Amino acid sequence: MYTPIKCYQPYHGPFDPCPSRGTVCYQTPPNLYLGFQPPNLQQFPIQEALYKGTLWPALYDPYPTPLEKGAKR
Amino acid sequence: MKQATDPAKERYALMEKIQMVDFALVELTLYLDTHPQDTQAIQQFNQLAVESRDLKSAYEQRFGPLRQYGGSFSGYPWNWGDSPWPWQL
Repeated sequence: MYTPIKCYQPYHGPFDPCPSRGTVCYQTPPNLYLGFQPPNLQQFPIQEALYKGTLWPALYDPYPTPLEKGAKR
Repeated sequence: MKQATDPAKERYALMEKIQMVDFALVELTLYLDTHPQDTQAIQQFNQLAVESRDLKSAYEQRFGPLRQYGGSFSGYPWNWGDSPWPWQL
């Protein structure tokens, strides 16, 4: 299973005037991991689809905040 | 016994159903653009198209035309310009 949130530690040089950013995380959409959509994917019920923003749970993207681990912004 | 719901609540409920069906139709259209052979999705699309048409005609009979240029029948007098407009709903 993929992790929608990716994190990395930017290099912080000794002469870097700006404070270190610690770990930087970003969020990736699910369609990156789906490739060509297979047919007959499971669907949300019509009522829910409108409020979820998509008909397919596989493509549902609540855009989780990258700061979930309290990483310093 | 159908409790007498006031027309405003009914109007919003009906409009919400229309929006749900239309959203599903948009999704299926985009899906079918890339999957022209998916018979099951086409069948679902046609069912929803019929449902959308029925919902819209039910809405229009009670609350006035939704679309113009022949998309909806007109009441008397010519009333497509009456408020509330969709964005005022």
